[in-house]
Amino acid sequence: MIVFQDLSFTYKGEKKPALQEIRLTVPDGGFLGVIGPAGAGKTTLARAVSGMIPHHYTGDYYGSVTVNGLDTVETSLDEISRLVGTVFQDVDSQIISPMVEDEMLYGLENFGVPREEIPGRVEEALEKVGIAELRERTIGSLSGGQRQKVAIASILALKPQILVLDEPTGELDPRSSRQVFSLLKELNEEQGITVILIEQKIMLLCEFARQLAVLNGGRIVFQGDTREVLSHSEELQALGVNCPRVTTLSRVLSDRTGEAQPACINLDEAEAMVRRLIP
Amino acid sequence: MIQMEHVSFSYSDQGPTVQDVSFHVEKGDFVAILGANGAGKTTTVRLIDGLIRPTQGRVLIHGADTATSPVSERARRVGFLFQNPDRQICKNTVREEILFGLKTVRGDESEEALNARCREVLEDFGFSGDEEPFSLSRGQRQRVALASILAVEPEVLILDEPTTGLDYLECCHIMDRIRRMNREQQVTVVMVCHDMEVVLDYAQRALVMAGGKLLADGPVREIFRDAALMEKASILPPQMIGLSLRLGEGFEQADTPDTMADAVLARRGEGGKRHEN
Repeated sequence: MIVFQDLSFTYKGEKKPALQEIRLTVPDGGFLGVIGPAGAGKTTLARAVSGMIPHHYTGDYYGSVTVNGLDTVETSLDEISRLVGTVFQDVDSQIISPMVEDEMLYGLENFGVPREEIPGRVEEALEKVGIAELRERTIGSLSGGQRQKVAIASILALKPQILVLDEPTGELDPRSSRQVFSLLKELNEEQGITVILIEQKIMLLCEFARQLAVLNGGRIVFQGDTREVLSHSEELQALGVNCPRVTTLSRVLSDRTGEAQPACINLDEAEAMVRRLIP
Repeated sequence: MIQMEHVSFSYSDQGPTVQDVSFHVEKGDFVAILGANGAGKTTTVRLIDGLIRPTQGRVLIHGADTATSPVSERARRVGFLFQNPDRQICKNTVREEILFGLKTVRGDESEEALNARCREVLEDFGFSGDEEPFSLSRGQRQRVALASILAVEPEVLILDEPTTGLDYLECCHIMDRIRRMNREQQVTVVMVCHDMEVVLDYAQRALVMAGGKLLADGPVREIFRDAALMEKASILPPQMIGLSLRLGEGFEQADTPDTMADAVLARRGEGGKRHEN
């Protein structure tokens, strides 16, 4: 479980707080989507869970974040990173080895994973992400999307209990993005891994995340069950947060038919709604 | 304006990335190139820009072969907005960045004329000129990159995933600005984009690629309504078009939440009348 208790954080040298009074609980096995406009504090939120804040980025820190009961201020970054696997937005800053296989081995060896376990873990992670054929390639020969998949696989190999991903599908096409989301869903549902996913791809996020937190100006402006948050689609759009078109459709149809329609989050629901409305 | 004639291209050690691709783009077109990762989209726009030259076939811009025409002439005609603005921006202030492009491409004009053009662009984009690009947000940096390209008044604008990493409002700012250039100044736009909602909202025509080949070329809405083609190219159509395909008759024209609601209400109206009769 991850608990933010009134966390406020201002980066050293900055005047404006990046996060203000964040109160948020992500239960074990939760799948939280985080959205919000640029500069809202999404990446800072991810850094606070992964322990990068306050261990790597310093500044004014009030309140607390606990991960599985451990206060991230009092726990070493090494210890936190055994619980929390993080995939950064900028994959090139994450990948440090020249070869895919070396990149996979680097984390496993650092974590002191028993030698005999390593080959199996590498193979499993590469297959899960669907890039087994890239194992012996150089990082330089990969496309942006393929590098993103390597970063995800190398974190999965470490078997974290919590996964924090900051726009992990930025360079992926729609089908590959959906594959990554489906993989996260599988890890979440079958292995109980807690997922915190920051994304601009609102359609996918709403389909997969069970909870949403909307950040704006360093504060949480909406949080809760995905459908409940999306029922504020007009307010969200005013903040610069787009909503899936099926959600906009349910709002437009509510207005124009005079019958309140629950917010749709995917195509199946939108189809059912329209079929209910037409003779 | 742009003629691709039986163009093939392969990076040294691999098979062909682009294979026998032919199409024409007319002045003022707004074309999107669609396809999965590795379909050959980025290679195709690089070929148009002349960043790479075809291994077979020819690329003509305004009748001039990119393999033989001088780089300076192409740079003047074709502007290229990269996915990542940080690969483009190289100066310490927005003003210097815009002037850098102007001096490189339009160095034959007087300093005064270039300064005037720079001021015009700064005002148009709402920059003071003194901003440091790297203290701006990604969306603003993308706007700096776009401003410095548009400053030189290219005839063709190439966009490679222009909205990656941008939030919704930033995406609308950039795309609305590009649409204005396209409509008012007839700037030809060729865009690679993974966001099908953006493609539907802004492009008129779509080229679909898979495995380095051109599968289809047509009006955006017709392309998205071709379910077999979408499957073959691994593309998921925009949500409202996906919905209209599932609903079938009476919903063919619905491609936005508003037009979808129109179609629903029309059916309810008709249904009501039938009931009365």
